[in-house]
Amino acid sequence: MKELSLHILDIAQNSVKANASLIQISIDEDTAADTLRITVADNGCGMDKELLQRVRDPFTTTRTTRKVGMGIPLMEMAAVGCGGSLDIQSQVGVGTTLCAVFGLSHIDRAPVGDMPGTMSVLVSGSPQIDFVYTHTVDGASFTFDTREIRTVLEDVPLDTPEVANWIQSYVQEGLDSLQTL
Amino acid sequence: MKISELAETLQLELLTEPDYDDREITGCYIGDLLSWVMGRAKPQDVWITVMSNVNIVAVASLADAACVVVSEDVPIEDAVLQKANMQDVVILRSPLPSYELGLRVHEAAGI
Repeated sequence: MKELSLHILDIAQNSVKANASLIQISIDEDTAADTLRITVADNGCGMDKELLQRVRDPFTTTRTTRKVGMGIPLMEMAAVGCGGSLDIQSQVGVGTTLCAVFGLSHIDRAPVGDMPGTMSVLVSGSPQIDFVYTHTVDGASFTFDTREIRTVLEDVPLDTPEVANWIQSYVQEGLDSLQTL
Repeated sequence: MKISELAETLQLELLTEPDYDDREITGCYIGDLLSWVMGRAKPQDVWITVMSNVNIVAVASLADAACVVVSEDVPIEDAVLQKANMQDVVILRSPLPSYELGLRVHEAAGI
């Protein structure tokens, strides 16, 4: 993928399909360790050992319309291609946590990309799910949490265009304050 | 032009099993960013790439490419070739860089 945010969108959509009620996304940039770590953790249905073993294989998919599923294989390739790795922990009925580590300064590491747009799309697409996005750069962090937004907005649904635009600007401002990328 | 004719003309090394479905080639796509290729390579294309991991088999299968030509003699693991054989994906290889291969595909097949 040309941007890491596209991998995050893809993986978070797996969590949505797994009927998660809470999806926690974090990006942690660590200059000293020269790593960029992306974690997507959900409380969805989880995977059994057998599926967990097959999930890195591009010919594994829960989709019924075609036989190929590229989300995890492409993210693993992107991580390994810049000196990192991808790890998945999952437990049936508890949830799944995917963690991908990328070499922060590696020439083949794609830019993080459009996280404000990604969060806006995820929330608008699944307004019933809570999303937490934490972006950390060398210890300084910014957090976006739909649970907090719900307490402020009270009965306003999260899938209106106004809220989508607001989320995008809010996340953008938060990231600007971290001076990412 | 058929895959076998292209392989012979361009002296491509066949890495997958020889009893493949010798499909007609109608186009050519060159690219290494697999997520990009997935949405752009067309059925019956020759797909030229330097990528060599198992995901190329999935992308070739998804795009229904006629065959994959791996350029610059990039090494390919047996596991990838086994997967390709299972999925009826034809993988060929050449020492030439992708640009040179593209030119030769154009000359040989007129595409």
